[in-house]
Amino acid sequence: MQTVWGWLPAIYLFLGGLGAGAFLVAAVIELTNKRYEFDFCAITLVGATIPGPVIALGAVILIFDLGAGLREPWRIAYMLTHFTSAMTWGVWILSLFIPLSFLYGFLEVMDTYPSAWGWVKSRKWARKLTFLHRLPVRRVKRIVARVGSVFAVGTAIYTGVLLSAVGPAMPFWSTWVLPFIPLPILPFLFLVSALSTGVGVTVDVAATLVAPDVYQYIRRLPLIHLAIIGIETLLLGFLLITAFLQGGAAAASARDIVIGPHSIVFWVLIVIPGFVYPFIVHAYAAGLGRHSPASGLGSGIGIVVSGLFLRYLIIVSGIPAVL
Amino acid sequence: MEKHLLSRRRFLGLALTGSAAVALGARLAPGGGIQASDETPTSPYALIIDTTKCTGCGACIEACRLRNHLPEGQSYIHGLLKGDEHVRWYLMVQCQHCANPPCATVCPTHATYVRQDGVVLINEKLCVGCRYCIVACPYQARIFDEERGVADKCWLCLDWVLGGGVPACVQACIPGARIFGRTDDPNSAVSQLIASGRAQPFHPEFGTHPAVLSYIIEG
Repeated sequence: MQTVWGWLPAIYLFLGGLGAGAFLVAAVIELTNKRYEFDFCAITLVGATIPGPVIALGAVILIFDLGAGLREPWRIAYMLTHFTSAMTWGVWILSLFIPLSFLYGFLEVMDTYPSAWGWVKSRKWARKLTFLHRLPVRRVKRIVARVGSVFAVGTAIYTGVLLSAVGPAMPFWSTWVLPFIPLPILPFLFLVSALSTGVGVTVDVAATLVAPDVYQYIRRLPLIHLAIIGIETLLLGFLLITAFLQGGAAAASARDIVIGPHSIVFWVLIVIPGFVYPFIVHAYAAGLGRHSPASGLGSGIGIVVSGLFLRYLIIVSGIPAVL
Repeated sequence: MEKHLLSRRRFLGLALTGSAAVALGARLAPGGGIQASDETPTSPYALIIDTTKCTGCGACIEACRLRNHLPEGQSYIHGLLKGDEHVRWYLMVQCQHCANPPCATVCPTHATYVRQDGVVLINEKLCVGCRYCIVACPYQARIFDEERGVADKCWLCLDWVLGGGVPACVQACIPGARIFGRTDDPNSAVSQLIASGRAQPFHPEFGTHPAVLSYIIEG
């Protein structure tokens, strides 16, 4: 079992994915022009406001997990300098994505609540900033959504690259997509997992609570959800199967997960709440056109919990090659 | 359908291309660095561990621990138990001082670096304690110093070596399983062992090209 990186790295990788996924959900709805098709969209509001605080919290946890970097915080600036390191890429991506997310959240709130925007513009300090009064909030928001989407995808992918980049040291983390496709699968799996947790927290939780009629406007919502779960199932399956076929430490890790000491976490905390249950809920919803509030909430919470434990399990299941 | 700059299709295409590009980058990025040839030694120093003489007594581990003031149970050297029910033997692992070290590649702050003489060192003042190098070392040769919050490892007792001496582990080895010497002296024991092909790098398939450490494993 891998013991150098534990819960804290798992949590901040998960938060990065969750924030990135939620951002992408809001951005896609905005950029496909679904945002204004109905008066109020809880999905974009949650999807736009969650990423900033969530990813910032992840960054705080990352800093807290450091050793000397926590006691001498100026060293963190050195982390921006070494571009062969996926960790440097991550610090750069997060440094740019976090402010963008906060900006996107701010713009989305101002756009959704014009009275709030009016309040901001009426403040003493704001009256001097004439550009604020001419600011086309919707247009700026769309630009931020586009630029931010690139960073969101980057954030979700880099969490997988971080682990797979250690290559031969941890064979399970560098497992290929398939035995004949020489690309690590973790970046793809973590990207789709990020999307899934993003959809879970925005559509399942927020929409269920505040705007259950969103299904009438986006009829394909359950199908999109099913597609994401389906692709994630495929990728997770490929990870385990290819790892088994690779033999050695990778196969030992896969065995630990599926039938070994980690199997309870795998089946009970990842597969059932994150894959099986949401699949059933959304298969029903695809047919009926909606789902009950309880199952929506259950599906969303299940997906989020599953996403966290998936990162944790992959991290602790790594078995070094040299043992 | 409205005309907009980022259609669904284009967005999906961008996302997929982007993710493929990054994944490809992940495959290409690490391990890019000095590709040392197998013939030219990249370090004037060589430390050869003769596993046929090693008794697994652990004197090297303890000498390293004491020399470096490490707490009980910690050392820069650890032993891997090898073999089967017929023959059991120990393989002592420490930093291999690779010419192409993954630790240096993944370190975000340049704290880990390779010297001209091939010795891999850690500049403590730059280390943030992210532990990426510890995870990335395929030999699992690095440890985390909880007290100082930095990564730590074998530094080849450079102060003694530069003065013409040998590392603590070599001094402490009772059965004489550790041989240290200079590769730029063709008459040295290490040069002859390397030339004979008896001393081989550990796990060469990792692509790390250990520059200092090699092992005699026979039978």
